[in-house]
Amino acid sequence: MAGGRPIIRAMTEYPDAKVFLVDDDKGVRDALAWLLRTRRLLSDGFDSAEAFLDEVSRWSDEPRVPCCVLLDVRMPGMSGLALFDHLLALPWQAAMPVIFLSGHADVPTAVDAVKRGAFDFCEKPFSDNHLVDRVEQALHQSAGVLTQRQAQRSVQQRLDSLTERERDVMDLVVAGLPNKLVADQLNISVRTVEVHRSRVFEKMGVKSAVELANALRTP
Amino acid sequence: MTPAALPGQGLRSRRWLLWAALLTLVALLLGVLVFLAAEYEQARDQAALESDATQVATDIRSGLLRNVQTLQSLHSVSPTPDSWVLPATELLNAHREIMRLEWRDATYRLLAARDTPFRGHLAGYLERDQFLPEMRQACESARRLSGPAFSASYFWPMSGGQGMELMEMCLPVVRPGEPMGFLVATYTLPGLLAELPGRSLLRDRGLAFTEPDGTRLALHSTVQGSQRSLSASALLDLPGHTLMLRLESPRRTGGLFPNVLTAVVGALSLALLAVLALFGRDMRRRQRAELEVAEALAFRKAMENSLVTGLRARGLDGRVTYVNPAFCQMVGLAPEQLIGTGLPAPWWPPELVDEYQQRQAVRLAGQTLPREGYESVFQRSDGTRFPVLIIEAPLIDAQGVQTGFMSAILDLTEQRRVEELNRASQDRLQATARLATVGEMASLLSHELNQPLAAIASYATGTLNLLQDVPETPVRADLALAMQRISEQAERAGRVIKSVADFVRRREQVHEPVAPQSLVDAIAPLLALQAKKLGIRLQVRMPAGISAVLCDRTMVEQVLLNLARNGMQAMPEGDPPQQSGLRVLTLSARQTRLHADTRPGGPARRLWVEFSVTDHGQGMSAEVQAQLFTPFFTTKSEGMGLGLSLCRTVIEQHGGALNHEAAQPRGTVFRFTLPAAGFVLPT
Repeated sequence: MAGGRPIIRAMTEYPDAKVFLVDDDKGVRDALAWLLRTRRLLSDGFDSAEAFLDEVSRWSDEPRVPCCVLLDVRMPGMSGLALFDHLLALPWQAAMPVIFLSGHADVPTAVDAVKRGAFDFCEKPFSDNHLVDRVEQALHQSAGVLTQRQAQRSVQQRLDSLTERERDVMDLVVAGLPNKLVADQLNISVRTVEVHRSRVFEKMGVKSAVELANALRTP
Repeated sequence: MTPAALPGQGLRSRRWLLWAALLTLVALLLGVLVFLAAEYEQARDQAALESDATQVATDIRSGLLRNVQTLQSLHSVSPTPDSWVLPATELLNAHREIMRLEWRDATYRLLAARDTPFRGHLAGYLERDQFLPEMRQACESARRLSGPAFSASYFWPMSGGQGMELMEMCLPVVRPGEPMGFLVATYTLPGLLAELPGRSLLRDRGLAFTEPDGTRLALHSTVQGSQRSLSASALLDLPGHTLMLRLESPRRTGGLFPNVLTAVVGALSLALLAVLALFGRDMRRRQRAELEVAEALAFRKAMENSLVTGLRARGLDGRVTYVNPAFCQMVGLAPEQLIGTGLPAPWWPPELVDEYQQRQAVRLAGQTLPREGYESVFQRSDGTRFPVLIIEAPLIDAQGVQTGFMSAILDLTEQRRVEELNRASQDRLQATARLATVGEMASLLSHELNQPLAAIASYATGTLNLLQDVPETPVRADLALAMQRISEQAERAGRVIKSVADFVRRREQVHEPVAPQSLVDAIAPLLALQAKKLGIRLQVRMPAGISAVLCDRTMVEQVLLNLARNGMQAMPEGDPPQQSGLRVLTLSARQTRLHADTRPGGPARRLWVEFSVTDHGQGMSAEVQAQLFTPFFTTKSEGMGLGLSLCRTVIEQHGGALNHEAAQPRGTVFRFTLPAAGFVLPT
């Protein structure tokens, strides 16, 4: 009931996001999936840490869509904590935040996990929409990370498309040197510098030296 | 052993010396005895010989006296020279020792003479007159003595280079009214020797007349072929002359057969030597036996002294006859203070004297003693009491008669203390176990209830979410309210559970560094009891220098105890059989970088200590494994089914994990990890 508007907004924010539910209790898995669906969130259930780890290991790369994991602390076989250790080893772990689901007996463990990088923990039984709100925040983070990584990747691609000379010119431009000094330093004419410079702006998709510097600073 | 052997050797050489001295003395004594015996025999022979010699001399003298009387009878009637001859011839025939008889007048003129018929004419070789001086000398003596007198002996040579000693005897013939005359008898010394002495005295003996310097004058017989002979001399005192008579006798010793006395002494000596030898052997045997007895005694003494069991022997009257050092130490009294003491014994606590007296009476009444012993209480000299186990047996002497009781006494103080300690630690473990079980049950219940509550709350919230899209109607408002209530009540139930769990778990969980070895040590005594009953060997493998673990010690002890007990229960008697060598329960610990999750490439963020409990039972079926950690699932008839799920709860609360797999060659191994404290605690 509370905050009806933001929920509607949230529902539309990440229509293709995916929530992974890892809990050995099917009743809880189903209930959570149902709850998430009422908020237009898709989810995948896994009945053990091992099953989820298998799934993750099948992925060739980071997820394409925002995602997060709801992870039960206490499971037979590999525990949620052990699974988290494995996930932490992934290079793109930040793109898949982990929210621990804990009984209150496991609270200290969950707190410990948060200190080590988990997004949050929620104590069972969950009250109203707090859990879903946290899920959306986690998805938001995931999306942010993915966008950032996407941006990094595109900057890198643009950088790779520059010729050696354009690269030299860019380095000096970003360092804040005027065209004349750049020409002096590279032993070329000012005119040539200008041509290179406009080519760099074009390739890097920026309109000014300030924008260029910002784009390069991101990674 | 060398220092002990030296005095023994000295003793032996001294003993040999003594033996040598004894033998020498005995030999000397025997020699002296034999010598003295021989001497005695010889002296006796000598004495006999002497007396015989005297006898011979007496015989000769008395013979001569008889001859004098016979000769006087020649003149008992007044003879004429013619009438004299016949009786003289008869006389000469009767007396072969007389060579010649002459009748001479006072002026020594020969009136008549007669020679012995047994020899040739005396004057055949030398003139008789040559020897008149001897005859005259004798006659002069006779005239002076008015009786018979003898001349000195003289040698009368005869034909063939032979000759003999002769001696004149002159007898004055005095008849009233007639001129005095002399009767001269010429004796031969050999004749004297041959005729006059008793024959029996002369058997095997040599008899001779000798000069004082030993020169033989006349010989009757000699001792045959022997240089070793005894001799005795006697003086033959005759009027006017003295002759030396020498009697010789062969020595009876020196032959092949010693004389009787020597033989007896010799035999006795041999017997003595034999007895000595026997005695010596007997001594040696006795010595050996003594040595053996001494060694056996020393052995027994060492045995008694080494015993920690008290030994005490009592007579039938209850008087102590023997105690060993262990017993003295037990009651704190010296052996002198104990031996000989009667009832009540000094170690009886005063308040129990009556009871013990009754017990003694029962014992004396001939009741059989319990073989396994009975327990009692003794008192030390300082007044402290201590429990003992007494095992008693009747003391039977060599004749088969019971003389008392021998008791072995075990001090049970230490045993009692250990039992007490075990009981206390078991109580403590059980108390914490109960507490832990309640706590963990609460935790388990809260988890198990929280799951459905979470589902309920989720459905309620989801329903509310859906209701937002439904147009505003009274029904929607009611439904929304109901869903709101459901959500609230679920939340309330969660709070109730939380508060109950918190109440039970009020006890602060302290995670402290604990050495793995001390965890195992704490439960080892409890496990040992059960292991012994089942014939299972407990094996603990604990690498040196293993890191301490951060844990709540009592909880983890419970987990270890639970797993170990499960492991032992998986190995009932006979499965696996004793001879397979598999009746072993192994508790081990090792450090690892891996979490209980053993996937390769797993995280290696911190150090863990992995404990494992391995049994060699039948192992678990797939169905059992699937339900292993389900609360209230159990394979045991009397189990509650909380053990393993509780164990897992505990381990997970420590951040560790509990899992299991099949053991080789059979059985199951349970492993759990605990975070290492990062340093080693001294155990």
